[in-house]
Amino acid sequence: MLFAVFLPAILAIFIPFLSKWKEKIHTGYFVLLAPLAIFIYFVRFIGKDFDTVMEQYSWIPSLQIGIDFYLDGLSLLFVLLISGIGALVTFYSIFYLHTSEKLSHFYVYLLLFMTAMLGVVLSDNVFVLYSFWELTSISSFLLIGYWNYKERSRYGALKSMLITVFGGLSMLGGFILLSIITNTTSIQAMIEQADVILSSDYFGWILALVLLGAFTKSAQFPFHIWLPDAMEAPTPVSAYLHSATMVKAGIFLVARFSPIFVMSDWFFIFVSGIGVLTLVWGSFMAVRQTDLKGILAFSTISQLGMIMTMLGFGTKAAIFAAVFHILNHATFKGSLFMIAGIVDHETGTRDIRKLGGLFTLMPISGTLAFFGTFSMAGVPLPFLNGFYSKEKFFDSSLHLNEYTSELANLLSNAIPYLAVFGSIFTFVYSMYLVFGTFLGKKQFDQLPKKPHEAPFGMLISPIILVLGIVVIGLAPFLFNETILAHAAEAIYGEPVKAHIQFWHGLIPAFYMSLAVVGFGIVLTISRKGWQSIYRFIPGKLSLNKAYDFILAQLENSSAKITNTYMNGSLRRYMVLILLTIVICCFTALGLTNGFAWDTSNLAPITVPEILIALAMATAAIATIFTNNKIAAILILGVVGYGLSLLFVVYKAPDLALTQLVVETITVALFLLCFYHLPNLTERIESKAVKSMNVLISLGFGVLMTVVAISAHNTKLFDTISEYFIETSHDLGGGDNVVNVILVDMRGLDTMFEIVVLGIAALAIYGLVKLRNKKGAE
Amino acid sequence: MITNLAVLPIVIPLLAAIIASFFPKKLRVVRIFTQVMMVINVLVTAGALWYVQQNGTVVLEAGDWMAPFGIVLVADMLSISLVLTTNIIGVACAFYAPKSLSQKQEEFYFYTFFFLLITGVSGAFITGDLFNLFVFFEVLLMASYGLIVLGGEKIQLRESIKYVLINLFSSMLFVTTVAFLYSVVGTVNMAQIAERVGEVEQKGILTTIGMLLFFVFATKAALFPLYYWLPKSYIVPNPVVSALFGALLTKVGIYSIIRVFTLIFVYETSFTHDLFIWIAGLSLIFGVIGALSTNNIKLIIAYNIIPAIGFILIGIGVFNETGFSGSVFYLVHDMIIKAALFLLVGAVAYLAGTSDLRKIHGFIHYYPGLGWMFFIACFILAGIPPFSGFIGKLLLLKGAFEEGEIAIAIIGLGSSLLILLSVMRIFIRGFWGEKDPNIRPNRRVARGFVFPVALLLFFNVLLGVGAEWFYPSIESIGEYLMNPEIYMDTVLKE
Amino acid sequence: MEIITSILAGVLFTTGIYNLLQKQLLRIIIGTALISHGAHLFILTMGELKQGAPPILEEGLSNYTDPLPQALILTSIVISFGVTSLLLVLAYRASKENGTDNMDQLRGNENDY
Repeated sequence: MLFAVFLPAILAIFIPFLSKWKEKIHTGYFVLLAPLAIFIYFVRFIGKDFDTVMEQYSWIPSLQIGIDFYLDGLSLLFVLLISGIGALVTFYSIFYLHTSEKLSHFYVYLLLFMTAMLGVVLSDNVFVLYSFWELTSISSFLLIGYWNYKERSRYGALKSMLITVFGGLSMLGGFILLSIITNTTSIQAMIEQADVILSSDYFGWILALVLLGAFTKSAQFPFHIWLPDAMEAPTPVSAYLHSATMVKAGIFLVARFSPIFVMSDWFFIFVSGIGVLTLVWGSFMAVRQTDLKGILAFSTISQLGMIMTMLGFGTKAAIFAAVFHILNHATFKGSLFMIAGIVDHETGTRDIRKLGGLFTLMPISGTLAFFGTFSMAGVPLPFLNGFYSKEKFFDSSLHLNEYTSELANLLSNAIPYLAVFGSIFTFVYSMYLVFGTFLGKKQFDQLPKKPHEAPFGMLISPIILVLGIVVIGLAPFLFNETILAHAAEAIYGEPVKAHIQFWHGLIPAFYMSLAVVGFGIVLTISRKGWQSIYRFIPGKLSLNKAYDFILAQLENSSAKITNTYMNGSLRRYMVLILLTIVICCFTALGLTNGFAWDTSNLAPITVPEILIALAMATAAIATIFTNNKIAAILILGVVGYGLSLLFVVYKAPDLALTQLVVETITVALFLLCFYHLPNLTERIESKAVKSMNVLISLGFGVLMTVVAISAHNTKLFDTISEYFIETSHDLGGGDNVVNVILVDMRGLDTMFEIVVLGIAALAIYGLVKLRNKKGAE
Repeated sequence: MITNLAVLPIVIPLLAAIIASFFPKKLRVVRIFTQVMMVINVLVTAGALWYVQQNGTVVLEAGDWMAPFGIVLVADMLSISLVLTTNIIGVACAFYAPKSLSQKQEEFYFYTFFFLLITGVSGAFITGDLFNLFVFFEVLLMASYGLIVLGGEKIQLRESIKYVLINLFSSMLFVTTVAFLYSVVGTVNMAQIAERVGEVEQKGILTTIGMLLFFVFATKAALFPLYYWLPKSYIVPNPVVSALFGALLTKVGIYSIIRVFTLIFVYETSFTHDLFIWIAGLSLIFGVIGALSTNNIKLIIAYNIIPAIGFILIGIGVFNETGFSGSVFYLVHDMIIKAALFLLVGAVAYLAGTSDLRKIHGFIHYYPGLGWMFFIACFILAGIPPFSGFIGKLLLLKGAFEEGEIAIAIIGLGSSLLILLSVMRIFIRGFWGEKDPNIRPNRRVARGFVFPVALLLFFNVLLGVGAEWFYPSIESIGEYLMNPEIYMDTVLKE
Repeated sequence: MEIITSILAGVLFTTGIYNLLQKQLLRIIIGTALISHGAHLFILTMGELKQGAPPILEEGLSNYTDPLPQALILTSIVISFGVTSLLLVLAYRASKENGTDNMDQLRGNENDY
């Protein structure tokens, strides 16, 4: 399996070379090999006596991250969809994309996506699953941005990435929590510990975080807004990623984890609640679209909502119906996208207002479209698979579990009505789509191109899919026990008996279907009359506007916030830094009782010291008030020389000498450098600024003094200096202990102190010499 | 004899710096000399790492003055792996420098400053003496002053002044704090300080002194709310200098925090380390806000330093083994990716002639290599698997969740998204888009930029995909940090 | 006496920071100089003042002042001398190049870079 999953990625490495001959052989033919091979590899697993397979490969065992592939009914269904639809789409793309395009890029992204998607559905390790999950987002981003010279493409690409990566990250959070609670990273092992997870304090977080991941990926309300914009991608991509496979990753995730979550009422409330809302909203909004792909995008949203709703029910029948619909949706939506692509390709437009009456010119495409849309609408014709899945949906919505919480009960009572309501609009847009394009007024003069039937190669893929619609519709038993039952079992946790037969009889669900058709026909005919209600519902616009607003605000307000404090003013920076230090350190001091006062062990106070100290303090304060630069520098000198006097008093002769020399040079340097600069000016500043400055500098000074006194009064240990005095003569060979420390015991310090001086010298040299003369350089 | 291994990563670049300063004008020789010396240094450090991994921490007592009286250099797994990372970045910069610097800048001792910066950074990682740490800080700061003013442009000088002043202030605070600490515990050897602070359970004034020390390091590390000086001063010098600064300087600050707050001040965690989590969260938030606030591509990357440091601080704040491992892993990862990103945007700005994103379009059509490298770098930065950022982030988030710190974990996840947005904006607006017929691509120059960046990205990918080769060592570092007595016993030989 | 020197060092820090918060470069640099004096005085105070003879060994004497802080101060003095000199030259060049020594006019804006 490892090889099967990575086959597309490996092939992708060679694509740039293979595409060199694209004029002779369309690169797509090479690409086709990968999904075909994978499909053939996996199709042999189909059968009544299918058993799960686990293959483990080690990657980062010390973090419990391993590439563990787990093939059960659910992943098998998805793998076959990915590779099967993948092959059809690739084949279709050969005719859709001209060789003048950057084919190598397109196919590399597409192959990367295949690997990623296969990885998502096969991984048993949550972190590997997450890795592949993000790779699907990235490859989808690249595919949407394939024509990145278009502004809309870039917009759509960013939007889809932001929303799906957002979901991915929250899902990661959920996974980490799960792995901490269960102490495993394997999904199957987690399912075994479902009761531990359910009783954990973090269950709410886990549920919310994981479901966020699923909802964003599967375009559930209100995260669905990225999907319509993703239609900027080339149509094969829309058919593949954005209807058949990637958007179903969220469905897959919910299905995968439902054995853990299904016990909770909240799972039903969230998944079915959001699902049914998405179903209604998506189909309702699809009717107002004018772009063929736009209609299909909203239709996809709505259908995904329907599958989500069924998964939320958690009953045997509902899960089986969900699995069934996953398969069905891929067949009819895939074919419809391809037809939309053909229409676009042959007429030059996808605007339904300009299209009409194409059936006469494109009879094959038209026929295929009729099958696709009627199946999607769930029209009660027994040879359409969509009819069965819709009927199963209605049926299961009438037989829900008993819930304890009132909210859940309320929802379960409302769901059948909402289901019918949403399905009516599904019927309306389906009819609108097919009749508006292929029947009705002929207006060929409005089209950019003169339309004719597509080349046969382009029609093969949709024909195969439509055959699938009919085969599933006529002979559902072929799929029941061989694959669907296994998939449902993987979700439900127990064997699920297959339900679908050719004809179910006159059950309540059948009447619901009839009601949908009845109301649907009425609404379709009277569409022009009631379409004005969309004017009152800003709908799609308002959510998109919210997204645009958030994005714009992120930039604007962050700029505003940042500019308030990052204003380039050194004073502002210093004020903020100092305030933080003062506040935090005083808090620490107070909380830990750090202050210590102890006068027993102090040196005596003598008059000369006091005088020196007073002089220094006065001079230091005077620097603030003087307005003469020379005076200021000299006053600074007083402080420095005062310090060296203090060094003398406190028995530090070396320091005194050094300080004396350094101070002299510094003063000279000061004078030199500032000789040419303007004199000090009167300090013009507002009272507020002044008092702030005083407050902060006083606060900091006091802090340092308090800490110093406390530190001095809590001498808890003997210092290591005793050792220096003892050994200086014998080991260090000198009597001046300070000097011995400097050159011997702490020689490393001194060496690098000299290095510092050296660097300073070089830097100053550079500063003085290397001037940026305008024009020179 | 073998203990001298600990000093080699400091001595080799120091000697190289001195030699390079003798013939500044012979550029061809100096360039090759620099590249060769950096490669040698990497090999030596890698050897040292191998040795330390096999035989345990190497302690060198400088001048044979026994600890805690003399200065000790402690090459443990943490310090030596950071030194190795530093040197790898150094190699990339050594190859990148000739392409992006002007001849004048090279002649005015760029390579000397460069080696001295490496010396200072390596020294700061390796030293086991608090005052000696101050000295190495000064070495690296002084070298950075030399580098930041190199070129002497107006804006450069203006921003350098702020940079020098704030660092000068924090250095002075640093020595003062060392003196306070000396007064209480009577020593400047870190192992002995740790031992003595442990004996009295960090009572009295010690926590306050610890906080002062934290703020000294936090200023250098550019944590909220002390990072104001960083973004603008990091983008004014040449890209190669920005890369060195972004990759190394702030990381020395955060390394010091890791060291001091896992070794010495670990007895009042309910105050200090809880505060760290707050600061980490605010650094994440304000960092990404900053990164989103500007259209200057260099500034976007510079702001991204701040949330990264926030991430690393989370691991220290949550104070468990997973968190520590995460911090170390993320630290190594972030050093490399920051260098790569600064070099990348530097190349873009050089080729485009501007760093204003509004004026750059469709770059990927002319420079596909740079474009795709940038694309991958974005995902590395945002912590998307299977790259290095993911492993670090996973560990940090795990550490946070283990302690029940849900809020910081959620902030971490959210800021990852915004980090991705902030850099993706560069990709979407600058690299995608229509071809501009007026641009004549300078592919020859661009090719010169590719190798150093590719080298760095290679390590990022390796750290992620080949995490199994590195993670066990990093996990052992986490365990080692959790048990500070190992460090004390090794250094003080008890 | 240690309390008095601590207060004196505190005063040096206070005035230093007050100067650091001003607009004119010269004042700011004077501020940094005051702060480093303050720092050195703090270090000196942290060793015990006058508890013995200067740390130059003599026969028969056993009571010396703490030599380690002195060594540290010496290192620090030299380093801060280096930094101050660089800062001075830098300030000189920056103010010449930008035509002002007022930090308020050295803020810069978005479009500079």
